[in-house]
Amino acid sequence: MNPNSSHLFLEADHLTVQYQTAESYLPALNRISFRLDRGENLGIIGESGSGKTTLAMALMGLIVPPHKVFGRVLVAGQELLALAEEEKKKLRWKTIAMVFQNSLDVLNPVMKVGTQIVEPLKEAENLSEREASGEAGRLLELVGLEKYWKDAYPHQLSGGMRQRVLLAMALSCSPRLLILDEPASSLDAVAKKNLFETVRRLQDKLGFSLLVISHDLSTMKDLTDKLMVLYSGEIMERGLTREMVEEPAHTYTRGLINSSVQAFPYKDLWGIPGEAQPGSAGCAFAGRCTQASAECTEKKPSLRQVSANREVACHRGGIVDLLKATDISKSYRVQNRTIAAVSGVSMRVRHGETLALVGKSGSGKSTLAHILAGFLRPDQGEVVFNDRAVKNNWPACVEGGIQLVLQDPFSSLSHRFTVEDALLEPLVVNKIGTAEERRARIKAALKDVQLPADDSFLKRHCSSLSGGQRQRVAIARALVMKPKLLLADEITSMLDVSTQANLLRLLKGLQNSSGFAMVFISHDLQLARKIAERVIVLHHGRIAEEGSTSYVTEQSCCCHTRELMEAGL
Amino acid sequence: MGVSIASIKQSIFRVLEYALAFLVIISLNFALPRMMPGDPFLHLSGEVDEVLTFYSQKQVQYFREYYGLDRPIHEQFLTYLKELAVGDLGFSYYYKEKVSTIILDRLPWTVFLVVSAMALSLILGIALGSYSAWRRNQWQDQVLYTVLIVFSEIPAFLVGLALLIGLAAGLGWFPLAGAATPFAGYSSVWEKIVDILHHAALPILTLTLARTGGIYLLVRNSLGTVLTKDYMVTARAKGLKEFRIRYLHALRNALMPLFTRVAIQLGALLGGAILAENVFSYPGLGLLMRSAVVVRDYPLIQGIFLVLAVGVMAANMLADLAYKYIDPRTRPAAGLKPGAALPLPAGGEKGDA
Repeated sequence: MNPNSSHLFLEADHLTVQYQTAESYLPALNRISFRLDRGENLGIIGESGSGKTTLAMALMGLIVPPHKVFGRVLVAGQELLALAEEEKKKLRWKTIAMVFQNSLDVLNPVMKVGTQIVEPLKEAENLSEREASGEAGRLLELVGLEKYWKDAYPHQLSGGMRQRVLLAMALSCSPRLLILDEPASSLDAVAKKNLFETVRRLQDKLGFSLLVISHDLSTMKDLTDKLMVLYSGEIMERGLTREMVEEPAHTYTRGLINSSVQAFPYKDLWGIPGEAQPGSAGCAFAGRCTQASAECTEKKPSLRQVSANREVACHRGGIVDLLKATDISKSYRVQNRTIAAVSGVSMRVRHGETLALVGKSGSGKSTLAHILAGFLRPDQGEVVFNDRAVKNNWPACVEGGIQLVLQDPFSSLSHRFTVEDALLEPLVVNKIGTAEERRARIKAALKDVQLPADDSFLKRHCSSLSGGQRQRVAIARALVMKPKLLLADEITSMLDVSTQANLLRLLKGLQNSSGFAMVFISHDLQLARKIAERVIVLHHGRIAEEGSTSYVTEQSCCCHTRELMEAGL
Repeated sequence: MGVSIASIKQSIFRVLEYALAFLVIISLNFALPRMMPGDPFLHLSGEVDEVLTFYSQKQVQYFREYYGLDRPIHEQFLTYLKELAVGDLGFSYYYKEKVSTIILDRLPWTVFLVVSAMALSLILGIALGSYSAWRRNQWQDQVLYTVLIVFSEIPAFLVGLALLIGLAAGLGWFPLAGAATPFAGYSSVWEKIVDILHHAALPILTLTLARTGGIYLLVRNSLGTVLTKDYMVTARAKGLKEFRIRYLHALRNALMPLFTRVAIQLGALLGGAILAENVFSYPGLGLLMRSAVVVRDYPLIQGIFLVLAVGVMAANMLADLAYKYIDPRTRPAAGLKPGAALPLPAGGEKGDA
């Protein structure tokens, strides 16, 4: 047996729940296996409809026919699903209790809250009215409410007080596992903080295990040590909360974090596009994933260990490193002196992410970008794109490769070209598609960058376009190659602020819908924290700092970063 | 805090509403009998109870003057109001007795029918309705639903006639008429009670059958809704005993709409009782009313109408008042112990001391 089995409190093994609908069974949970030790705090995060609440209901044995439950749930040594209803009743609340999601209806509207708090205890231990009433008062004080609230009716409580009453109610039989279902919903920030403090204080005192169900990242950070990501009734990733928030391994987890204000207080929020499609043969997330391959739509991935504390259900082993650069150095010779533009830079770009490369002018950003795209050969080091070494500029010549958009749209697009010429050029040079396909593709690209796609615009000369329009044509030109990585080198620096704002939103929107990764090169750290998840700060050709945007912009102690921050403010 | 100005205003408004309704009722009460074709003293001469009296033109004239029917209508109305104000319901033309005495004599029988039928249909309706709701969409529910819908759609008097013909006339299990065996010398109180119940059985059964369907439907739907509420999941998760879940959490909430419904339906039930009394010749207010209408006994008709209307109104008013205490959400400032006022409104977070 497992040496830790003495700590084991709850174990679910291939737990499956199917809801009966009019014509078929709808899978709500699909072969979930996990364990929870005594005193452990486990979080289950996922969008609504991912099966979180179903899981809680299943653990309490509350999924009743005609709905179906399969698998095994071991609670404190008892096989829950095999128990008779009467036996389950004995387990409920006494062993596992739940703080239900706060709603006006969650408490019986015509019964005093004190009565509702103690009724399970009163039944279990045959308390007298007096004892029960005293117990209700004690429980209310335990969660930080005055005793007299026991005589109130649910409608007389505020949302925060109701949440506390629900907590008091859940604690009435001193359960060994407490399930919190969306404990933070409907609470303001202060009430939330107070509640979490109360929960932690009570956990120290009473020693229950905690299972937290929420879509809210900050709840997880505050209350849990371990985290499980649920999507479409399947576990996508699990590991330690702290590590997962800093570096998600699954594209879905990253999507959740990117949608969260707490993780990115300054960045524009982008939800995960698309809707869950349950019941597919392949990976449930494949339709919304940026790195899905053929295998992903055909076969379900199972959870695999990817590092010491992390498991991911992904055929590609989690978020793939799209580009990896190792120990890149490049120097220029100016007259007799050697100037190191880039020295010893190692970095990676993960699938679908936005990485900001920030530094003062002359810090080697553009040189590095050109090396990454294969336009410049480094003196030393190697760049690998999609598991293939970057030599010459092959990634720029293929679909799904690397495209570079440059700072100056006036010189990057030949002014003699018409818009059509400029956009067709990469397709013609690389012999992609028939004439008709090419036309369709450039029109789509123009539409994507919100430019007119009619003939009169196509026939215009690039020289007649404004700076903003030219830069958008340049982006469209990159997009017709359907890149997996877009290197955007100071693309907004020559534009006015309004055009810059529009262009950035456009680019993020395109990234969110087509899922390419982006290296955003800029001297502006403020701008970087608006759009990027990760930041690399370059100084004199070396990496001065690297980390998640919130870390770099808020907790950095690197002097170069601080200098850039202050300069921008 | 006590009572706020708004709630006083509301109460005054309520009282005025009821007063207005009462005024309309007594006016209609006065007008309706007089709008009927015919004349009390022509009718004194025919039909009903084999009293065959013929009045000459002169006698009719005399009676009209005697009872004040020759005076202008507004004067009659004023007299009616004045007498009503001192509780005088008038004097029956036909029975030559005080209207209040006659009504008091008959009222208990009607009350007996109505109360028994109400109680029985409530018991049946709640029991069957809850059973159906617990077994929603299973065959038991579907059978019950169909049967009770059919019953509630058959008019009460048809059911009554069928029972009368089948069980009383045909099989002879029940008496054909009356509330008790005439001139029976009972040897014990028990025997008297049995006799009375025997006579009342069919009218009560008729009324119960007519009423149960509505209550059944209401309970079934209301409980059906309650069962989907979050607090039912809460109750179940708490591992409470089945009895507690079903009755204290579910049924208690489901029965609240029934309370108002029953009060409102009292009017309809009284109407049903009047029909049933006539079918079974049961000597309550309904039968009395028929006789009074036939002979155009204005004071008696007015009296009966008044008693019925006031009864229904009082029931509604009581329901109005009582509902506030049944549902804590509508209860005016439910008493929390420290002062009557609610200690603090939304967002009242206590620090964790």
